[in-house]
Amino acid sequence: MKRITIDPITRLEGHGKIEIFLNDEGDVANAYFMIPELRGFERFCVGRPAEEMPRITNRICGVCPEAHHMASTKALDALFHVEPSSAVKKLREMFYSAFYVTDHTTHFYALGGPDFVLGPDAPAAERNILGVIHKVGVEIGKQVIDCRQRNHHVIEMLGGRGVHPVAGMPGGWSRAITEEERQEIEEIAKANVDFALFSLKLFEDIVLGNQEYVDMILSDAYTHRTYYMGTVDEHNHVNFYDGMIRVVDPDGKEFVKYHPKDYTQHVAEHVEPWTYLKFPYLKAVGWKGFVDGKDSGVYCATPLSRLNAADGMATPRAREAYEKMYETLGSKKVNGRYQPVHYRLATHWARLIELLYAAERMLELIQDPEITDPNVRVEVTSTPDEGVGCVEAPRGTLTHHYWTDENGILTRVNLIVGTTNNYAPIAMSVKKAAQSLIKKGTVITDGLLNRIEMAFRAYDPCMACATHSLPGQMPLEVTIYDAQGRVVERLSQYVERV
Amino acid sequence: MKRTLILGVGNPILTDDGVGVRVAEAVREALPADAPVDVREASVGGLTLMETMVGYDRVILIDAFLSRGGIPGTIRRLSLEDLRTISPTRHSASAHDTSLVTALEMGRRMGLPLPDEIVIYAVEAENVTDFGEGLTPAVAAAVPQVVAAVLSEIHGHEGVLPGMQTSF
Repeated sequence: MKRITIDPITRLEGHGKIEIFLNDEGDVANAYFMIPELRGFERFCVGRPAEEMPRITNRICGVCPEAHHMASTKALDALFHVEPSSAVKKLREMFYSAFYVTDHTTHFYALGGPDFVLGPDAPAAERNILGVIHKVGVEIGKQVIDCRQRNHHVIEMLGGRGVHPVAGMPGGWSRAITEEERQEIEEIAKANVDFALFSLKLFEDIVLGNQEYVDMILSDAYTHRTYYMGTVDEHNHVNFYDGMIRVVDPDGKEFVKYHPKDYTQHVAEHVEPWTYLKFPYLKAVGWKGFVDGKDSGVYCATPLSRLNAADGMATPRAREAYEKMYETLGSKKVNGRYQPVHYRLATHWARLIELLYAAERMLELIQDPEITDPNVRVEVTSTPDEGVGCVEAPRGTLTHHYWTDENGILTRVNLIVGTTNNYAPIAMSVKKAAQSLIKKGTVITDGLLNRIEMAFRAYDPCMACATHSLPGQMPLEVTIYDAQGRVVERLSQYVERV
Repeated sequence: MKRTLILGVGNPILTDDGVGVRVAEAVREALPADAPVDVREASVGGLTLMETMVGYDRVILIDAFLSRGGIPGTIRRLSLEDLRTISPTRHSASAHDTSLVTALEMGRRMGLPLPDEIVIYAVEAENVTDFGEGLTPAVAAAVPQVVAAVLSEIHGHEGVLPGMQTSF
């Protein structure tokens, strides 16, 4: 296989790019998926006071500012050597659960859902949230908006500001909640549980009730047997806010469980000549290329990965939903735990199970007597040096690592963002989707882009850098080259200037 | 009196992506304290952006824009209709959400009180991939013009100034 190095100059156009190379027979030899990388973040941060980081990092991305804010706040806990009280931890986790509810809801109804609710072959103009609402009813659209609205209200109340929270501080949280506020949030959390149950039922009715969709989930085109990563609590249940990082192998056996601060001992990053983005892999297994299986260090960190890496869910209704998914998809129990599900499209189902868990967890926490404790701050007395903070972002394990001088001025910063964990699996999924659609020189242009999009949509990759600018969707370009390197097809959704 | 929102969209720490936010800040400075206008910034898109507009009669939105071969610093005054024509309907790809056009359409169907009048000032960006709080020279040079146009727009005049484009 000829190695193709693409001139880096062509990679700076700030949009998603997929390049597919055919061999002499006209089949897919290789496919590359490139996302514009945001550069210079470390340089931007060095020299600033570390306590600014929760406010700076939540600007990295308009999609999951709360996740960055939380990872950053936890990194400050570690940096300044302060342990938050259990009340603060509960308050943070409750806030974080509200964020999860909005994020997973948005993804399912606006982005992932259309593929299932309308079908992958529906005209693209209908395959969006409007199409979903048209099919399932305006009432549901209203519920989606209401769900976002009531949880944004909680996020704003607790975070001190909408969208870009500012409340996190080393060892604490800048405000407590009153009993009145607690009651208000409790009602919101109850409504979230109902909405999550409803969403799961909708998914089951529409997807499981349609053999064509079930076959699509089970199809080889969307299957990869990789390692799975997720954060677990002391019972090996999924937790978004805190815990140990657990990795299971493709057969579901625990491969390693480590404290987030030790991430560099377990995860290394592979560099490819054709992209600036690095591909994290498991050090102990090694980089074997873009292949799945037990001998390849490629791992995945998504909602499905979190469920695969855990032994179950911590809340009752989510536990039922979890078991139902594994049973339905034919997973067997070995040593008391389900074998991993490798079907990438099942990630959408896993996301809804997580939505239910987040809703139940939020309700549990808001009913906790400690949640209105007015003491939410601790005094910082230690000299800062180095700290790691880690949470599960909706898109995967998110790690913030800061180094400072004795005055708390940043000297070095390293982030591994949720999506980064999944670059290798996304690249593999894109290639597989292309291979299933391009045979012997026949390029099926119609639907090709959507099938490829579906492959990476399941991962919900965060390319927020492209969402800020108008016209507001990710500009994606697919170029197909023949064996001689000539362009045979170019599919683009970039704005062409007349 | 029309309820007007001036909305600077973009990421203030991502070089030219911050142009909308910079314009909004300058407009806030230039307006008298009692001006019946709200000025806000948002680093979001899609549904959240639409939700920000609820309850206003008129929104003037400022954002960075990227087009193939575009000249950095070019200012365009666009309508929602213009945005609709360039928002590809062939594919539904979006980083996480949906496009503003789709989000507004959805909001209307839900019966949310959304503005009838949306004016968009789009500034062609040069660099939206490097972290930084400054704008590139061509984009920075466009800021005073956009500010002037927005102020004129607030007073009911169409803010098209010499050299500004109103289409693609």
